[in-house]
Amino acid sequence: MNGIIQNIFVFSSLTIAVVFLVRKFVWTPKKKTTKTCGSNDCGCH
Amino acid sequence: MPKQINVALIGNPNTGKTSVFNALTGLNQKVGNYPGITVEKKEGVCKLPRGVKAHIIDLPGTYSLNASSLDESVVIELLLNKNDKDYPDVAVVITDVENLKRNLLIYTQIKDLEIPTILVINMSDRMAYKGISLDIEKLEAQLDTKIALISTRKKQGVDNLKDLISNYQNLSIEPCLSTQDIDIDYFKGLKKAFPNQSLYKLWLVITQDVNFGKISRNTIKDTSSFKTKKDSDLKRLQQKETIKRYQFINNVLKEGQTIDLKTAKDLRIKLDRILTHKVWGYLIFGIILLTIFQAIYDWSSVPMDFIDNAFASLSDWTKNTLPAGAFTNLLAEGIISGLGGIVIFIPQIAFLFLFIAVLEESGYMSRVVFLMDRIMRRFGLSGKSVVPLISGTACAIPAIMATRNIESWKERLITILVTPFTTCSARLPVYLIIISLVIPEGRFFGLSYQALTLMLLYLIGFGAAVGSAWILNKILKIKSRKFFVVEMPNYKLPLFKNVALTVLEKTKSFIFGAGKIILAISIVLWFLASYGPGTEFNNAEEIVTEQYASNNLSQIELEQKIASHKLEHSFIGIAGHAIEPAIRPLGYDWKIGIAIVSSFAAREVFVGTLATIYSVGSDQEATIKNRMAAEVNPILGGPLFNLASGISLLLFYAFAMQCMSTLAIVKRETNSWKWPILQLTIMTAIAYIVALIAYQFLK
Repeated sequence: MNGIIQNIFVFSSLTIAVVFLVRKFVWTPKKKTTKTCGSNDCGCH
Repeated sequence: MPKQINVALIGNPNTGKTSVFNALTGLNQKVGNYPGITVEKKEGVCKLPRGVKAHIIDLPGTYSLNASSLDESVVIELLLNKNDKDYPDVAVVITDVENLKRNLLIYTQIKDLEIPTILVINMSDRMAYKGISLDIEKLEAQLDTKIALISTRKKQGVDNLKDLISNYQNLSIEPCLSTQDIDIDYFKGLKKAFPNQSLYKLWLVITQDVNFGKISRNTIKDTSSFKTKKDSDLKRLQQKETIKRYQFINNVLKEGQTIDLKTAKDLRIKLDRILTHKVWGYLIFGIILLTIFQAIYDWSSVPMDFIDNAFASLSDWTKNTLPAGAFTNLLAEGIISGLGGIVIFIPQIAFLFLFIAVLEESGYMSRVVFLMDRIMRRFGLSGKSVVPLISGTACAIPAIMATRNIESWKERLITILVTPFTTCSARLPVYLIIISLVIPEGRFFGLSYQALTLMLLYLIGFGAAVGSAWILNKILKIKSRKFFVVEMPNYKLPLFKNVALTVLEKTKSFIFGAGKIILAISIVLWFLASYGPGTEFNNAEEIVTEQYASNNLSQIELEQKIASHKLEHSFIGIAGHAIEPAIRPLGYDWKIGIAIVSSFAAREVFVGTLATIYSVGSDQEATIKNRMAAEVNPILGGPLFNLASGISLLLFYAFAMQCMSTLAIVKRETNSWKWPILQLTIMTAIAYIVALIAYQFLK
């Protein structure tokens, strides 16, 4: 019983870690950009 | 009066804006980014008299409302957009008592936006040194506002400022300059076309290319009843506006400010003569650097040993107390060991940021920028490139973003491309652990060999940045204008509160930023090192017991052999062996190979990875350093981390890109994948070749 619970915790932790890393480095949800430099740019690029 | 009000702190750079922000908010502050862009946003809360709460926002330093950078455009966009949740109920303009004339320009512009504005004259403790006296009543009358004369250093005047903020509704919103003074006919036309709008706001929309409310620049251009002017004519009007504003400021100061040079007791000129001298300046800078690196080593050894032992004990305690099983092993060998590999470096990181904060706060860093400009120009960079290169010692990401104030695109691109060579704080854990393993502890003229090696690595990073800038300057055929302006703030004794908050903030972001990644990678690595495919992994106990049946091994030795066999045939062992042929010529084994690959997420992951892998493979040694020191080279015998492989690793990390986030930021700043891919390829190739040569020479 203890072994099964421990394995459930391990695989849950692994899933959370993998999802976190994938979201961090591979697939990042795009945020809406609300700030712009206007139509002519501000010369900062 | 509302229970919560928005207060915007606005002012030129180096006016002590952050000190005022810290004095008002204390520890009730948070740092984030503006939505969608990477300009830093500092917010905090301050309790005012009569139970009113002020939400204070520290806006990026700006000289005027004529934006020339993304940071400055943030200020204008907020001040023009009444619908923004941060739109200020009251603006607090911070000025420096020694630079009132220049600092008042932005005050007049903000006042003209019809926002209640308080003027803060900061650094009042410097008035006696400079022979400055102010007639506050006259200044208040001329500027049509309330003035708080404060000294954050002496903690004077902050309560008065809080009172003024809480009474902001009594402030006048009459403009300083009438738009009619700029051009009567033009503004009459504008008023006719947009009768319900503030003329100065419209003028900013036209000239700054920002939008406010529902009115965009194009809407104004497309309005048939109003004919705007050519860009060159608008520029001429802008110049006229600036001249009019300075005429107004001159008149105000003539009435309210007197400067008696005879009573001034200024050391600044004498100090500048020495600190920016073409020989003494560099010598003093060199001595300061040496002292910093020596102190980092000497002061942090005790807390580091304490942390290392604490994590080792915690890991043992977890293993001995919790029920035996896979999750207990994950906690003890994966998570605690992996986190221990990063937390151990808190003392050294904190000391590094402490010194950088003290140098910045004292005003010395600007002298370094000026000093280095002489060298930088020869390599195709400007003095402004020094700021990113120095802030690159903390992290390449904000450093690359700091290149935005370099006006020349060629200089900016070169700075972006070479900044990752400078030794960032993520390299520090790698350097420190390898140096402690392979460099002897002796001293040379009171300076330890280990501190000297660390300083040499910083110089190698800086040299690589400057050298590659020189090459890029020759190769890149981009035409651009070059000029360099730097402001030299006055020398000041650093404020303890500012330094402490900087150290706290930077160390926190280092630990929590990298900590989450290291935690996740530690879990994945532990899993890959603790599970494996096939019979070699699953039947490890039988195979090893049978293999060593005739060797009379003790129980501990046999368990060690089983753990080692399992690790070799685990998922991570198989992957490590696959890349081993590529890294063997550099003196690394497959475990180091895995650490290098995983540290592409962030360099400091290298130490955490080794801590996790060695923790799974060995129960003999408790601390990370001891585990690494006990590793044996599987082919040559002897310690795996010896002088040859150690120097090879140090040089590899000195030159390698090894940071995904930096690649992403370079892509964003250059708006192209070409530059980051080129950067990654070249830096990795240099790192590999240099590490190869070093190992082959030293082995």
